[in-house]
Amino acid sequence: MFENKHIDTSIENKAKELLNSEILFAVVGDLTNEGRYGESAVFFTENKMCAYDKTFDGLYKVYDYSDIEEAKVKRLYGNAIFRVKLKTGRYENVIRFSYAAADIADAAANFIEDVNSYGYDEEYFLAVKSTYDKMRSFCPKCGRKLAHPGAPCINCEGKKKMFSKLMVYVKPEMKGLIVCLVLSALTTLMSLVPPYITQRLVDVIIPGKDKSGLLHVIIFLLGLYIVQHVITGVRAFMLRTTGDKIIANLKKDIFAKAQYLPMRFYDKTSTGSVINRINSDTTNLQNFVMKISQEAIVQFFTMIGIIGIMMYMNWKMALLSLIPVPIVAIIARYFGKLIKPKYMRLWRRNSAISTMLADNIPGVRVIKAFSNEKRVINKFSNYIDEWYREDRAAGVYASIFPTAITFLVTCGSVIIWYFGGSRAIDGNSDITAGLLVSFITYATMFYNPVNFFANLSDTYQNTLTSAEKILDIIDAEPEHDFGKFKNNNDALMGKIEFKNVNFSFDRSKKTLTNINLSIEPGDIVGIVGTTGSGKSTLINLLMRYYDDYDGEILVDGKNIKDIDLEYYRSQIGFVQQEPLMFKDTVFNNIAYGCSDVHVEEVLHAAQVANAHGFISKMPDAYDTMLGERGIGLSGGEKQRVSIARAVLKNPGILIFDEATAAVDSETEHQIQGAIERLITGRTTLMIAHRLSTLRKANKIVVVDKGEIIECGPPEELMAKKGKYYKLVQIQSMSEQLLMQKADENFE
Amino acid sequence: MVLRYIDGPEVRITANDKIFVDIEFFHTGEKYTCLEVKRMFPISGGDRYLALIDEDGNEQAMIRSLDTLDKESRNVVKNCLKEYYMIPRILKFTKMTEKFNIWMWYAETDKGNVVFEIRNHITAVKVLYDNRVLIKDANDNRYEIPDYTKLDRKSRKLILPKL
Repeated sequence: MFENKHIDTSIENKAKELLNSEILFAVVGDLTNEGRYGESAVFFTENKMCAYDKTFDGLYKVYDYSDIEEAKVKRLYGNAIFRVKLKTGRYENVIRFSYAAADIADAAANFIEDVNSYGYDEEYFLAVKSTYDKMRSFCPKCGRKLAHPGAPCINCEGKKKMFSKLMVYVKPEMKGLIVCLVLSALTTLMSLVPPYITQRLVDVIIPGKDKSGLLHVIIFLLGLYIVQHVITGVRAFMLRTTGDKIIANLKKDIFAKAQYLPMRFYDKTSTGSVINRINSDTTNLQNFVMKISQEAIVQFFTMIGIIGIMMYMNWKMALLSLIPVPIVAIIARYFGKLIKPKYMRLWRRNSAISTMLADNIPGVRVIKAFSNEKRVINKFSNYIDEWYREDRAAGVYASIFPTAITFLVTCGSVIIWYFGGSRAIDGNSDITAGLLVSFITYATMFYNPVNFFANLSDTYQNTLTSAEKILDIIDAEPEHDFGKFKNNNDALMGKIEFKNVNFSFDRSKKTLTNINLSIEPGDIVGIVGTTGSGKSTLINLLMRYYDDYDGEILVDGKNIKDIDLEYYRSQIGFVQQEPLMFKDTVFNNIAYGCSDVHVEEVLHAAQVANAHGFISKMPDAYDTMLGERGIGLSGGEKQRVSIARAVLKNPGILIFDEATAAVDSETEHQIQGAIERLITGRTTLMIAHRLSTLRKANKIVVVDKGEIIECGPPEELMAKKGKYYKLVQIQSMSEQLLMQKADENFE
Repeated sequence: MVLRYIDGPEVRITANDKIFVDIEFFHTGEKYTCLEVKRMFPISGGDRYLALIDEDGNEQAMIRSLDTLDKESRNVVKNCLKEYYMIPRILKFTKMTEKFNIWMWYAETDKGNVVFEIRNHITAVKVLYDNRVLIKDANDNRYEIPDYTKLDRKSRKLILPKL
């Protein structure tokens, strides 16, 4: 028996007893019929089902499928009900559940309908099983969704710690970093020398009035400082270039990864947030990597060196100066815990600002058209104010902490002054004035690394937030079938089959239900239906923008999930309603996605697409630089450029999604001409609201509320006088009215 | 198409089922059965603008405000909405655990105790006006914190970094 969630054995046994036959599967709910969290379940056999809910009288209810007229899942808001209509006409709510069980309940409802229509067949059971399998396509260890059932989990395989993952980018630059480190060590060593010499200067040379000794010391110190600063300059330059290389590679990788992320990721993540991650989060990370790989090591050894020298000079005073260190460590730890949530909140505010910028700056035309400037400014001000509040809250802690540390450091120096000074005044032989000055200098130097490590916690927390966001992209499951079946270079023939396809964007609403469709090579298929009926979703699935549907989509007899994605998409020409142009030349926009393309091929494609005419009339012709999103071209012109793209691709399958919806009649006529030249001999799917644009179609598919309600040749559907007939009638009536109106105006 | 607003006690609404209602217009005598009541503003508007939708998905009327209906009709609609909209109110967070970037949130709600999965708290958690917080889990179920500042100290400590 399959079950989506564990159910108490005693409940299962009781159901078995009541059903008196083998249970095939169970749908386990998480709500009672009263809408409170609790256990409920339905057990299914070949011909009966038994429901359990503690609100039922007698806890169990048995239904014979033959008594059920209809079984369906009614999705409510945040919950759903498995509902049956009995042959007596009465409706019954069987069990209730949150969306977690909605998919499997859908499959169970289909199972009952199929068994009632055609009698029990293992095929129906296997359809339910495939939904179970899909539900099990999660890593048992981390719960992350897998590429396919049984696939290795990219999250758990070789799971490394967050920073060790990011070290991948540091390793290639290791040589440069090591050189920088050596240079740092040299300068640090050099910086430890002057205080030592100071002691000699104060205790021996100055009291001894040794001018020649003084000159030697001065020359030595000058030489030392020159070398030290030259090395510091070289190191700074090397460090900068090395850091830039690390971050450049990271940015490239995140951008590349962002290209392969599935549409689902972008459905849930704002583009502003992705931009924020590529820009500012990587910079945060760069600063931290530099701090860790360089300064932290140098500061650590500086600290050890200073402790060593201080111990050598006077171990008692050295121990005294270390008194504030444990307090600093405790405060740093406490501070880390306190500041991390603040940085998380700050990141969210920054991300909200980026999202608003990404939305509004490109949409400035719309803002102006609606005179919405003031409202947008106010909204942005509110976002900035929120950011300011969060930053101030974080700033309070971030400011108090270093001040507290500095105060403790000063206390350390005061202790040394008091203790050392008293002993020097008492004429204690082991502490001289020179030693005291030198010691104070070392103590001040010692607290630099202490300060550094204490403040590192602040940077670390900030970076941790950024690193999490970056890894959110790097670790996200990519579209996984790139690079498979590389040897397949044959063009697609264009046979398309949808078999029992069910799909929903989220569990709250089913978008496509039980889609079965067969398209032969060379067919020209018109997909019609009202807005929101599921036409574009059908195309989105065929394009493999979404892969997590139930059922199968086959192209040339092969499941599209088993075809290399790069190759597969290269075989499909997709012309959308709002073609996207890039900030590049017209030539490059046509040749988009095609490398090594011959100039004449581009000219030919433009000609076929009826685009050559208007391009050649532009002063810079094919070299015309388009603005962002194709500024400089009209809607119809952009559409023809996008058709030229499709021509150049020479695809086996062509898809037009409302290609002429946003253009005037004359432009439509030109685009239509281009389309008709292009589609000859290719399997073509055309979504169209204007049915007149489907005159070449030999097959019409009518989609309504996510289901195919009519499918066949247009003449057949017209004779049937169903939905398609009605749509044609409505459109011809409205077209006649428009023509009449135009005539009246003309007269 | 013009929206048909219901503004006052011009209709009688009776219960058909837990989640469906029947409606009768007094002036015209029109009757519709098995209508679903749907909030047009489930997050911001509460009991204003409630659409009555038939089995084919066609909207038959729109209640401007629940307050304008007579007491019996109002109660019928209220009960339907209570059944239809399942947004448990989170009273307390007991625990939040994380493994490999997947969070399990343990909460006490007005509908009982629940454990739900959050995959990305940046997209799953939305702070609305008046300190209201709306949460959408990995299965698209919704939860609400009416005012996060009024949660107990431990719950606040757990949720604040996610807001």
